[in-house]
This record gives sequence, C-alpha cells and structure tokens, in this order.
Amino acid sequence: MISAENFPEYNVPGVVKHDFHPYESNGGSVVAIAGDDYAVIAADTRLSSGYSIHTRKQNKLFKLSGTTVLGSTGCWCDTLALTSLISARMKMYHYLHQKVMPTNAISQMLSIIMYHKRFFPYYVSNILAGLDADGKGVVYSYDPIGHCELASYRAGGSAGALLQPVLDNQIGLKNQENVAKDPIPKEKAISVIVDTFISAAERDIYTGDGVIINVITKDGIETRNVSLRKD
Amino acid sequence: MSILAYNGGCVVAMRGKDCVAIATDHRFGVQGQTIDTNFQKVFQINPQMFLGLVGLQTDILTVKDRLAFRKNLYEVRENREMTPERFAAMLSSFLYERRFGPYFVEPVVAGLDPKTSKPFICNMDLIGCPNAPDDFVVAGTCAEQLYGMCETLWKPDLEPEQLFEVIAQSMINAFDRDAISGWGATVYIIEKDKITVKTLKTRMD
Amino acid sequence: MFLTRSEYDRGVNTFSPEGRLFQVEYAIEAIKLGSTAIGIRTPGGVVLAVEKRITSPLMEPTTVEKIVEVDRHIGCATSGLMADARTLIDRARVECQNHWFNYNEPMSIESCAQAVSSLAIGFSDSSDGGSAMSRPFGVAILFAGIENGAPELWHMDPSGTYMKFLAKAIGSGSEGAQQNLQDNYSPDMTVDDAVELALNTLKQVMEEKLNSTNVEVMKITPEKLFEMYPKTEVEAVISKLQQ
Repeated sequence: MISAENFPEYNVPGVVKHDFHPYESNGGSVVAIAGDDYAVIAADTRLSSGYSIHTRKQNKLFKLSGTTVLGSTGCWCDTLALTSLISARMKMYHYLHQKVMPTNAISQMLSIIMYHKRFFPYYVSNILAGLDADGKGVVYSYDPIGHCELASYRAGGSAGALLQPVLDNQIGLKNQENVAKDPIPKEKAISVIVDTFISAAERDIYTGDGVIINVITKDGIETRNVSLRKD
Repeated sequence: MSILAYNGGCVVAMRGKDCVAIATDHRFGVQGQTIDTNFQKVFQINPQMFLGLVGLQTDILTVKDRLAFRKNLYEVRENREMTPERFAAMLSSFLYERRFGPYFVEPVVAGLDPKTSKPFICNMDLIGCPNAPDDFVVAGTCAEQLYGMCETLWKPDLEPEQLFEVIAQSMINAFDRDAISGWGATVYIIEKDKITVKTLKTRMD
Repeated sequence: MFLTRSEYDRGVNTFSPEGRLFQVEYAIEAIKLGSTAIGIRTPGGVVLAVEKRITSPLMEPTTVEKIVEVDRHIGCATSGLMADARTLIDRARVECQNHWFNYNEPMSIESCAQAVSSLAIGFSDSSDGGSAMSRPFGVAILFAGIENGAPELWHMDPSGTYMKFLAKAIGSGSEGAQQNLQDNYSPDMTVDDAVELALNTLKQVMEEKLNSTNVEVMKITPEKLFEMYPKTEVEAVISKLQQ
C-alpha cells in the first residue's frame, strides 16, 4: 500500500522540531518495614541527574503526621509538587474534620491524588509507612498512577529491584526452611535496612552517600543517619 | 522488549574458598508463556568447567555447540585441557566476531584451572566484553535482583557448603521476583576433587 | 415575632433592621408543623423514633419514609417538608460515600452534618442561578451515628445550625416531647430503655393512637450499626408500654 504514512520522514532544512521531555529520573531508593508496634522507613540521600550529583544530602522522607511518613523518589520536581499537595490536603482535612488524618486515610487519598493524573502521571515511586488506628505498623506502596498495596515490607526507587528479594529473604523469611516465623524486632529491621542500602550503594549509581532512617512508634518519630559510600 | 528477555532465565556464579559454584533456573518460555520447566542453561564443558548461557534459547543452543566444536578442536590440536581463562578468551573473541549481528546470549563461565585448581568466574555481554571479578557474576532477566541478593549474602572465602547456601538463597529469592525466571533451580559446586549437583525445588509460578 | 413583620420577610438574603432573617425563622416554624421525631443517645447506641401521619386509610403506610440510612454508621430522622428532606439526605449520602472513597474511612457524624448544613444554607433568591435553592429548606434532621465505636446524636435546623444532643425531639410535638425527655433521660440507660422512652414520649404527644404502623423506630449500635426495628418488634415494645 502506498500512502503518506508509509513514507519515511525526511529532515527538511529549516524545520526545527521540538520534543517535550517533561520527566527526569533523579534516582534514590526507599525501603520500609512494618512491625507489630513500629514502622521503619529509610531513604538514601543522593539526588542525581544522569552521571552528575545535585546533592549528597537530600532527605527524601516526608513527615506527614505524627504517625505517618512518606518516602518518595523518582522525578524530584514531581515529588515536591505531590508532597506539597498532600500537606495542603491534610491541612484542609484537619480543619474540616477536626482531627489529624490517620495513616489509612492518607494512603487512600494518595492513591486518588495519583490516579487523578492517570494520563500525565506524577513520575514518582512512593512508599508510605506509619501506624494504623490500632498502633500497628503498616506499609503501603504505590505505582506512579496510584495503585496502592498494603504490605509489611517494601523496597522502591532506583534500587527497588535489588533490594526487594533481600527483604523477601531476610524479613519475609521466604525460601527458608526450619526457621521460626517470629515477628521481626525493631532493631533487626533497622539493621537489615542498613545492610540493604550498603548493598544497593555497591551496584546502583543512583543510590549512595547516606541513609536517613525514620523509626515510627507510638512515642513519635526518631531519625537516624547512616553514611554510605560516596562514589 | 529486549530479545534477550524473550525466553527468560538466569544464571549466577560465585567464588568460594578453593571452589566455585554456578546455578541456573529451569524455565524456558516464550514471553509470558512457559514452554518447558526443565530447560537448564548450564553446560559442563570440561571436568571442572561449566558454561551458563542466558538469552535467546535458539542462540544458547547454537553458541553451546559452536563453542564445543572450537574447544574440542583446540584440545586435539594442543593436546591439553582448556583452562577456564582460555575458554573465556575464546568465547569473548567468538562473540565479537558477530559484533554487528550478535548472538543474543549473555554467558557465564565458572570453573577451576585443571592444573592449579585456581577458581575462575567470568561473565560477558552479548558481544563478548569480559568481566572476571573475584566475588560473583550474574546474568539474565533478574540480574538486578541477583545483584541485590549476592551483594548482601556473599562473603569472601566461603566453604563449599556455605557457598551452596549463599548461591541457592540468592538465586531463589531473586527469581521469585521475576515472572520469567524460576520453576526450579540447579546448583553445581565445583571443588578440586568433586562436583556436587543439587536440584532445588522452588515455587512454580 | 409577627409583630415586627415587614417588607423584610420577603427576601431570604436581607436582614431586617433588628438583625433577623425572617424566611429562616419561618422555616424553623415550618418544622413545628411536621410530624414528631425523637432521638435518644445512650452509651450503647442511639435510638430514633418518628411518628408517621397516615392521612388516609387508602394510603400505603410503608411508603412514608422518615427514618433513612445514610451510611452503615449513620441514620437520619427528618421532620418537615419531605421533599426537601430527600434533597438533604441525598447530599448526606453522597458526602458519606465521597468521604469513604477519598479517605477509606467512615465519615464523622459532625462532618456529615456540616456537609448537609452547607447545602441547607446555600439558598438565595438571586436570579443568577448560583444556588441550589431559592428558599431555606423546611426540614430539621436528627443524625444518629457511631463514631470510633461511640454513639452520637446531632440535630440540624433549617438555618443550618447543628449541635450535639443527648436526646432531642423535633416536629409538632417537640415542645412536650423535649420536656418529657429531659425529665426521664438518664445517662446510663440502655438502648432498650431508650426505645421505650422514645415510644412513650411519642405516645404522649401524638394525636393518633400509637401503633406499629404509625411509628418507625431505628437503632444504631457500635456492634450492628444501622438497624430498623421490624414491625413485630415495634408491636412488642408498644404492648409492653400498655401494661
């Protein structure tokens, strides 16, 4: 068939083409683990663009309330737009309903905010960690268009694929025989998270420099810092 | 989708103390459809040397046969056994011959030197760029997951039994997070005086 | 109040010189023509009971719906213009579902009342078509609900004012009924006590003789949430009252 669309496009002199590149990946990884009475969420502190590093000290964890922390990586400008919209929505909720938004309400709202941009999504990988109404740790993970899944541990971001099987093995105790499936103690969860980030920093150039860890318990949110390799 | 991920599969090799291990999954599929659950991608080349090939299944079979041809020719001409280093070098140049129309395979070589018993592991890209580190090499559709697992579990100077545990856990947990790898695994532990083959039962989905 | 009646009672968005909005006050008066509805909050749940005016023996009594489910955890009793009530209840239902959709949690009773109140005061007689209604709604609503396992009772009048109550009566018999509730309410009564008190109060203020077709009873409890009383159970309580 000879028709116009079957001909190749020739470069005509004088014609300037403009492509629209709305997204950039600024890298970064997030890991979160939920326990019986705590949730731990951690993110590395490197913010990069291709082979260059913008900063080695970027916190990617956002405290949304006294019991909820969001870890967000991907296109950093989308992360900033999304998190400021979330905090505005949470303030409106607080004024309207006279209470702090609980973790499960935030999880649902986040899913809907993301899905509202179904055809021009926020290019971000979100992991939400916090305590539910009963004080139990919960982790929600998202895809860029708002699919939300409740989990007990999750890795996301540029090294998500490297870290998730490690969590399956060390936290989910998958493929291990003759081990007691006891609840994971808080300090064990933190040390596994640090180990996974050390591993990720070895192989993922977008993960490194440092880790910021938020430990969420009924007593509040404790922040810890760990250094990673900086090359 | 990359043609290297058309059939799925993965191979990993690790160095231990005076030993090496190489592991393969059992799946052969066409994109999402599983065709065979007993297709092993690791082949014994010499008494103490194994070759793992992942990528396009038809190229795996071709490359395996052509390499066997070249290796046999080398051995009858030279009248000596091929070392893993030589084999890897030959494989590298063999793949580079097809620089602009490559075989869609990513090879992994693991073995002990037949004379010195020095452990050797090596992997390559599809046009034969070699990489022979002293810890582990991975290849296949769940390479990222394998890197994460190996980087966390591997330590220097593992004894053969420990090496088996590390490579088995790395492999299984990695391919459980990959839809087109898995369906069982086989691990080969290569020591100076023996080769241990262990077949692992895993989840089949 | 009728002494100061003047031109100012025509516009719904014009204050009188004394600072009153007559149409709103008249709407509140309109409630007093409506059938009586009673809500009682106890620690174990909230009870709503309403009188149904059966104006003709040829009328089908079950089609008079004065107690409705808004969400599984919120029930409403209305008094006043039934058509207006429908509009407000529809809004309450939509708001509850919207809240559940957006936040994956049941809406609080106060927020539900607040949402309905926004609609109730959204009246204007301007011709630019910006508002839902040209006059205030002629309805008062009792919201009975369960919030975080605790029962709550709220009341809203046509001015959009909403307040929390332990027990509240609205409609034509509300004055006598409210007095009766005040005399007989006790903070530690059970749900069954509350049903009896509600029906007893209705019995005293209704013109018709109380029976199982001219009242509707509902209870809302933390365990089972919204539940209408079946006719047989209403009959059982009524016969108990007569002993």
